[in-house]
Amino acid sequence: MNAPTDRDLILRARRGDTEAYGNLVARHQTGVFNICYRILHNRADAEDLAQETFIRALDRLHTFDFEREFSPWIRRVAANLCLNHLEAHKPSASLDEERDEDKTPSPGEQVEVKERSEQIRSALASLPPHYRVVVELRHYQELSYDEIAHELNIPLSDVKSHLFRARKLLAEKLHAPD
Amino acid sequence: MHLTDHISDVQLNEYLDNESADRAEIETHLDSCDECAARLSALQALFTDLDSLPEVTLSTNLAARFTSDRKLVPQLPRWLTLTASLQAAAALVALIVAIPFFSIMLPKIEAPSFTELLFELQSIWASWLDALSNYQLPNYQFTDLPTYPVELSTLFIALAIVSIFWIFGNGLLLRNQTK
Repeated sequence: MNAPTDRDLILRARRGDTEAYGNLVARHQTGVFNICYRILHNRADAEDLAQETFIRALDRLHTFDFEREFSPWIRRVAANLCLNHLEAHKPSASLDEERDEDKTPSPGEQVEVKERSEQIRSALASLPPHYRVVVELRHYQELSYDEIAHELNIPLSDVKSHLFRARKLLAEKLHAPD
Repeated sequence: MHLTDHISDVQLNEYLDNESADRAEIETHLDSCDECAARLSALQALFTDLDSLPEVTLSTNLAARFTSDRKLVPQLPRWLTLTASLQAAAALVALIVAIPFFSIMLPKIEAPSFTELLFELQSIWASWLDALSNYQLPNYQFTDLPTYPVELSTLFIALAIVSIFWIFGNGLLLRNQTK
């Protein structure tokens, strides 16, 4: 039997089927959590925000437009929630001391990949909140400039300048000579 | 863009993001300019770094929290919620439309005047008190009470139906908020 589509699960969840919504969360939780983790760089906060994302989504499920895909929609909800969270807790650029449980291919490369991943995450975490979210939407959610401008309700020129400055800062941190 | 000018950082970003309208010109320039080609490579390296970031696994299962802790409230279809609002609006419009009919119909009702009715009720009340004082049940026939036209009962029925719809509609709206 084929697995139910997101649309089927949403329709069942709208009728009060908790199992259907649980299946929907299980299907998208890793993606949503990773968005939160990339933006917040704190595992506990990322888990809280991922859960908050699904609570928000549940509350808005009756307004969900089936013409759209669920995955991009929930990812944008997560990105916006993270941005709001960062703006509400501005100075808390605390770096996560926990080690990532990255999916790495071989033990020999593991340490190197982890270190590099941690450098990238730290560099992302050091960006101002708006830059972080723009990078997330462009690089990981592959939105166009126009879509980012619409999503964040900012001018197109701001999207371009945020992206340019964010990448410049990232390059300085990641590719600076030792 | 002049081919002799170097490509700006913003243009390079737009080019790599597939948002540039001058792709052909930029590519021509990149073929002949080592400096811009090097800047492009550096930016591409950053893109590769960002793309290489591995996914992190969740330490807890968020789905379990939703299936065990949270009761989902069935969402009413939008058309049903709208129906409740529409019926309230329709009831209001019907009431406004009915006002001229009421003003025409009411004078035609052959009812006694208010003072006559009051006087009659007073006499009934007095006779009822007399009957009570004699410890006897009143033996009064209510034959003189005014008779109302049949339309009045229709009016009451219509009012009752509108009230039921009104209560039902508000019930639906409130039910949607009791989460």
